[in-house]
Amino acid sequence: MEEKQKDEKIISVSNYIKILNQGLREFTGKIIGEVSEVKFGPSGHVYFSLKDEGDKSVISCIIWRYKYQLYGIELREGLKIIASGHPEIYAPTGRISFLAEVIEHAGEGELKKEYERLKKKLSEEGLFAEEKKRKIPAYIQRIGMITSLNGAVIADFSNNLGKFGFKVKMIDSRVEGQTAAAEILSSIRTFKKQNIEALVIMRGGGSLESMLAFNNELLVREVANFPVPVIVAIGHHKDVPLMALVADIAVSTPSIATTMLTESWKQASLLLERHERNIISKYSDFIFEKYKKIENGLKISLGNFKNALLNVRIGLGSSLDKSLAGFSSLLLRTSQQLTQAEKIIGLNDPERQLMLGYSITRCNNKIVRSIKNVKIGEGIDVQVSDGKINSQIINITK
Amino acid sequence: MVEKNTDTKNLNNNLKKLSEITEWFDNQGEIDVEEGLKKVKEAVALIKISKERLKAVENEFEEIKKDISAEETNK
Repeated sequence: MEEKQKDEKIISVSNYIKILNQGLREFTGKIIGEVSEVKFGPSGHVYFSLKDEGDKSVISCIIWRYKYQLYGIELREGLKIIASGHPEIYAPTGRISFLAEVIEHAGEGELKKEYERLKKKLSEEGLFAEEKKRKIPAYIQRIGMITSLNGAVIADFSNNLGKFGFKVKMIDSRVEGQTAAAEILSSIRTFKKQNIEALVIMRGGGSLESMLAFNNELLVREVANFPVPVIVAIGHHKDVPLMALVADIAVSTPSIATTMLTESWKQASLLLERHERNIISKYSDFIFEKYKKIENGLKISLGNFKNALLNVRIGLGSSLDKSLAGFSSLLLRTSQQLTQAEKIIGLNDPERQLMLGYSITRCNNKIVRSIKNVKIGEGIDVQVSDGKINSQIINITK
Repeated sequence: MVEKNTDTKNLNNNLKKLSEITEWFDNQGEIDVEEGLKKVKEAVALIKISKERLKAVENEFEEIKKDISAEETNK
């Protein structure tokens, strides 16, 4: 009953196509075929056909400009690709087309060829040039990280990051499979607007096929033009992913990526200690030298002063000695002379002579030394030790 | 964010200043004692602050969402 009612409902062409397109989404699939009839529309969208290798069945396809640019595969006649998407009726023409969301090379051989072609092209453009590589600035903190948060990669990274107060912003992104390229691209573009000092893109190892996103031309160019240095940590077997070649720093594991970020922090401690030692020791050396100089100066001055003092003392002493010696000898001499004089005087004391029995005779107050000094009859005084004897000359004999 | 910025800058600047001071000592034939002491004092302060910054600081992890419109910017 219900079914019948629905059938009877009349709807517009436009609405019918909308309903069909909704239904057609259910037929999302991955198809492999050979490219033919490639046409580039003025809007940049690409129209092409995919032909079955076996019975030559054909389906017309569309890929929008943005997706076409993203996958970087140049569609040309005869190229074997795998397209993922769903069918859709294009309303203006009523034709059914396969709307390709993802296109990729079919087969390792083609992939390898494409890889080598792109590598050569980008290398010739100078994208991998050594002089383009930027260094990770010292003491950075704000880091952007793109990886699959489900993997072991993130644990390896955070366990090795040390404790330097990094502010890590992470975007969880698929790193392989159909949507990886688109997700990584929007992650990189998101980080372009974030205030970060370095970007780290990481994934574990894989085959060339699983590295599709990392060999994507558009992504490689985004990394080349990223405003701050980019570290790419991708494990790989043989062919180095082009994103690793274009990165400022390419390492093979997340833990090595962390050393790039922590190196300056670790060095800072050593650097600090070296500065500390240098500055303090230089200043103390200088002070010590200055002190030594002063000390030596003082020593010399003191020495001089001491010598001077010593000299003065010696000088003083000797002159004193000299004077004293001179004086005492003078004294001695004087006293000797005095003694001598005393002796002489003593010996010659007239009174002493008188005591001995000598006497002094005076005549007319003159000492009588000869008979010529006196005449008979004259009076004379004879002085003895205790008095005078007055006498008269009676006789003179010769 | 601004604070963290100056924080990071400080360590960078501090180390730069310290190496300038080291150079100053290297290049002085006869050091002015007062000037030298000033430099030493400055260096000691810088070293102290920098050592403080170099102590273990936990990292912060924050998950942000990718801006889907970024994917479309080229469309």
